[in-house]
Amino acid sequence: MKDDMIASEKSNPSPLVRFENVSKKYGRILALNDVSFEIKEGEIIGFLGPNGAGKTTAMRILSGFFPPTQGRVRIKGADFFKHPKKAKRFLGYLPESVNLYPDMKVCEYLKFVAKLKGVRRRDFNVHVRGKMELCGLGQVGHRLIGRLSKGYRQRVGIAQALIGDPALLILDEPTTGLDPKQITEIRELIRALGHNRGIILSTHILPEVSMLCHRVMMINQGRIIASGTVRELESCLKDRDGVHVVIQSKQYEEAALRLLRALPGVEGLKSCEAARGEIDLSFETSYAEDLRPRITKLFVEHGIPVVEIQRVKLALEEIFLHLLKEGKVEGKPS
Amino acid sequence: MTKLFVIARREFTGCFHSWLGVMMGVLFFLVTGVFFVILVLSYVKISMDPRQFGLSSLNGINQTQFVFSSFFSNLSIILLFFVPLLTMRSFAEEKRQETLELLFTYPLSDFEIVAGKMLGIVWFFEFLLVPLLGYLAVFRWIGGELDWGPVLSGFLGFWLLGMAYLAAGVFVSSLTRSTVVSAIGTFSVLVVFWVFEWVTEISDGVWAKIFGALSPLGHYRHFTLGIVDLQDVVYFLFFFLYFLYLAIRSVETRNWKS
Repeated sequence: MKDDMIASEKSNPSPLVRFENVSKKYGRILALNDVSFEIKEGEIIGFLGPNGAGKTTAMRILSGFFPPTQGRVRIKGADFFKHPKKAKRFLGYLPESVNLYPDMKVCEYLKFVAKLKGVRRRDFNVHVRGKMELCGLGQVGHRLIGRLSKGYRQRVGIAQALIGDPALLILDEPTTGLDPKQITEIRELIRALGHNRGIILSTHILPEVSMLCHRVMMINQGRIIASGTVRELESCLKDRDGVHVVIQSKQYEEAALRLLRALPGVEGLKSCEAARGEIDLSFETSYAEDLRPRITKLFVEHGIPVVEIQRVKLALEEIFLHLLKEGKVEGKPS
Repeated sequence: MTKLFVIARREFTGCFHSWLGVMMGVLFFLVTGVFFVILVLSYVKISMDPRQFGLSSLNGINQTQFVFSSFFSNLSIILLFFVPLLTMRSFAEEKRQETLELLFTYPLSDFEIVAGKMLGIVWFFEFLLVPLLGYLAVFRWIGGELDWGPVLSGFLGFWLLGMAYLAAGVFVSSLTRSTVVSAIGTFSVLVVFWVFEWVTEISDGVWAKIFGALSPLGHYRHFTLGIVDLQDVVYFLFFFLYFLYLAIRSVETRNWKS
């Protein structure tokens, strides 16, 4: 009966997760402000944002830890707060800090989780064994969780999320605290798992996002400020380039800034002191126009010694910072 | 419903994973043993020369009543110290270790979580009671004449009192993330209920009646004397369910605060 229900929902083309106009308040602080998004099956979504942006809040709402102040969350059509038990059956959650019972053995703990998630008795041991192998826990099954290294505890956390084969995996910073080899392994694992389920992962490591995720959502101050594929996000800033001009000493800073401000096409001008008292002036400019020859000429004419001038392409990092500053991307609102 | 037992089993076995649980078992056995021995010895002393002690000051000189009803009365005081230690870890420890977060993301209802934990602790409490049966054997072995009725009703009363106190302890534990605060808080709550008993002694009239009706020890005393009154059973049941309900509500409050 239950299986029939799930099967009928599978044939339904509706998205795996639907986050509808969700807001969350902690007292007076608005942690999430009218956030809506959808996740489809087979999609890996990256959640980006500075600390305190609302990433963890969004993930906790999605994991059923607490309900939103306003709005609705559905997983496979099951409303989270009307049928929490049904909805929670579809998800696996890896919290930001993986805290497991230190007094339990790995295998004992995973069996405990499997029972709570209602894994059927018939394929119980095979199921648990399989998840342990998948996460490379075969060797440590009989060790106490409290005695494991952080990397292994992280793996137990991932195994715990995978138990019950949930349709949606929520991973809050899955690769923190792992060594480089483990990070690569976990990334491979995430990519492999993403084929037949939805994965939403938050991370601080930007290259990880471009490596793994089909879609990126950037969140700041409780709002989604951009969402799209990595390529899309890059392309909406592709007409932007960064220029760095380094001048020899601080005494020329005023004059240089004045000149640059007067120049059409210069945006977001910043100056900062670099090594040996040199001043680094950076700004953004449009891709089409190369201002470098003009600047060099101008500076020479005014007797400002230029020691370096460089043009750089904006990567995901800069897009991210740009978005945080501007609040949105022109022509590509979320 | 089976998930409730899964949680209960973890809670129960968790008691043995720490030295705290083992030590409490040993200590409980030790303290109750000391009380039992003292009571038996003092009965022996009195029965040697009753005149010296003035029989009129003793309510009952029958063996079962002298030893076991006092024994159970003493147990209720020991319980005051043990329950905070038994329940302090239930939620406070999980909150501190932040293991509760994951538990909330599994397909479980809050009732299953709270009642499961409660049940696990009750199992451990019952486990502590098992050695007490040994005292009965010892009592018979040294030639005591047991009146089974009051002894069984004493056990029943102690079990009910324990359940009620444990529920209060679990509720207090669900309010905090510090086991120390939980233990002290539970102890304070239980002491307040204990004090109700004194009110009946120093005042009379309506207040004495009200506090007498609210006092767990007042209801418990009937059991130690061999009286099983439905009123008393209902009182403890209500006590237990009320605090269980409060604990469930307290766990639910994560929904409207951070």
